[in-house]
Amino acid sequence: MVILLLTCVGRLAARQDEVHYLHQGAMPPGAIGSVQLQRGGPLPGFFQPVEIKAPPGAAISLAVGNTFEQPTPAPLRVGMLVGRVYRVRVTQIPLAEGIEVFPTIEIIDRLYAPKNQKRRFAIPIELTEEDLHMAAQGKFVTRVIYLEDPFRALPVSESQGRQNWFDVGRGRDPLAVADQLGRPVAILRMGGRLPRDNGPPDAAFLFGSPPFARYPASVRRLPAPPTSKPAAARKK
Amino acid sequence: MTVGPSAATDCESTSGCHGHLARAVARALARRQWHPVVHHKAMPRYWRLGLVALCTLILSSCRAPVTNSPPTLPREALAGPPAADSAAACPEVACPDEVIGGTSQPAPLPYAPAGPWSPPGIKQPWPEDEYLVDGGDRGLPAAVRPDWQIQGLESEDTIAHFDTLDGRTLVEPSNPVFIYAPRFASVRKVVSLAQDEQTDQLGAVQQPTVPVRCDELQIAASSKQHVEAIRQNSAEPPIIYRSRSGDGAVSSVQRLGSFQDAFQPYENLKVIREGKVDKTERALLAAGIAAAIIWTDTESVQIMLDHQAATVDVGDQQDHDVYTVNEPPPCPRLRIIKVASTQTAEPGDVIDFTLRFDNVGNQPIGNVTIVDNLTTRLQYVPDSAQSSLKADFRTQQNDVGSDVLRWEITDPLRVGQGGVVRFSCRVR
Repeated sequence: MVILLLTCVGRLAARQDEVHYLHQGAMPPGAIGSVQLQRGGPLPGFFQPVEIKAPPGAAISLAVGNTFEQPTPAPLRVGMLVGRVYRVRVTQIPLAEGIEVFPTIEIIDRLYAPKNQKRRFAIPIELTEEDLHMAAQGKFVTRVIYLEDPFRALPVSESQGRQNWFDVGRGRDPLAVADQLGRPVAILRMGGRLPRDNGPPDAAFLFGSPPFARYPASVRRLPAPPTSKPAAARKK
Repeated sequence: MTVGPSAATDCESTSGCHGHLARAVARALARRQWHPVVHHKAMPRYWRLGLVALCTLILSSCRAPVTNSPPTLPREALAGPPAADSAAACPEVACPDEVIGGTSQPAPLPYAPAGPWSPPGIKQPWPEDEYLVDGGDRGLPAAVRPDWQIQGLESEDTIAHFDTLDGRTLVEPSNPVFIYAPRFASVRKVVSLAQDEQTDQLGAVQQPTVPVRCDELQIAASSKQHVEAIRQNSAEPPIIYRSRSGDGAVSSVQRLGSFQDAFQPYENLKVIREGKVDKTERALLAAGIAAAIIWTDTESVQIMLDHQAATVDVGDQQDHDVYTVNEPPPCPRLRIIKVASTQTAEPGDVIDFTLRFDNVGNQPIGNVTIVDNLTTRLQYVPDSAQSSLKADFRTQQNDVGSDVLRWEITDPLRVGQGGVVRFSCRVR
């Protein structure tokens, strides 16, 4: 009987759901990712390619060795560890020069791209101008980026290369909503803490400056030039 | 109560296991049976029953030891044939494991494919949310009603239906095509950290931000509404609510573009060019095959008698074979194969699809109709449909915001006759 009970308990523990219904998007950075790592799978040590986009003119810098590196014009394509939290500094915000915003990016899941296609398909992290301005005004913005379920995807195209998004209603948890519509892969938070005024930022503020892999920026492929032969063949 | 040497022998034959304990218990029991007087006095009934239950539990759990480590192969198996200069490379010093023998790369471990490939460590099912699927017949099997309406045609389905000589209407699905095209969206929530301080909140709204918001208002003039759709919380896709708008009423007949005789690079398969199945191409096609039907037999005919394939009637143990022709039963069949121009795509890319259909039965078929119900994220490129045979082409909006493509082949298909249809889609 004891063996039977132990077996049942072990199987119940192993059948944990893939969704995050027991978690909340308001949890501190790193909490959801650490739980995700405990669920198993090929997540630890995997550098998930991420493309950080920002408004034109804005500069992004990541934390290296408890200090921020030199600002880099957006977009920035890097590989981030699943379950770790990365502090980013955004400067040169349009119409808000001199104001710095320090968002955090937490990768909570990964993609399984085909071989040699890993860097091509990166998780887009969009720092919109509206979000940056709201964060500069003292508001806390949380964006849960999720992979759309093909069966529930909206039948609309992405406008100007920007991902579709929407605001959740009052009292709703963005993580739970994203869980219902797809698979959450990253959480972007901005508008929280600020580094201390004097001296370099402390390690707690930078979440230990976890390592990342730098990839070359993506080159947007232009559409193929129009060819006259197929058009002529169709008109025959 | 003859638990004894025989049971112990069984356990030894299976090897591994808790052999020592089982044999000791069995020996003890056997020893007790040889001295019945001592056995009845020394062992109460409950003790004997418990011992028998323990032995049964131990003996029933006999199995080979299971380890999670991969099977270990001898070093020779990994190293291959010893190199001639291996001794000179590592004289009198044991070579580390990374450098085995003289070969630059060790032989790979034996690989036994079991089902479709999936990343190691990922429990099934495969994370299909990163793929677009077009083709096959998922969900309810498609069927044609007497009024020519197709029921059970979900999005992603690609089928062909045809009429037989005896008046039946059969449905044949194509193989599914998987395209890696993940798309992301985001859910935003904004919380003001100073909700109770109304004065600070008003002071935070500064005039310089107004022009920016005016620009954003102009940008937001598109049809998108960044407000959470409550109905999306249901288990059904939100598109299902659009099904009220007509059911098959809006259907437009479009003119097919002229067919390009030149095959595309992704169509460089013998089964697409000539309609003949080549065994060497099965690996390429089998990756997306779920409804493989008649791919198991060789299509080439060795002996023809009266325009029919002949079979060997006398065994080949003799110096000659006798061929006879048996009138086969009527077996109308249509084979439909789907291929795509790419296996990966990003939003905005255009994918070309090709459908090859062949009459592989033994009688003509008529009213061949090919129907492709596109998935949500595939948008048909207008005027991109082609057909190698004379056909009527129609498009119709489906329930998921995309299109249903329909080719109606005008002429019947003779035995062995086939054709090709093409179309292009843009990834949303």
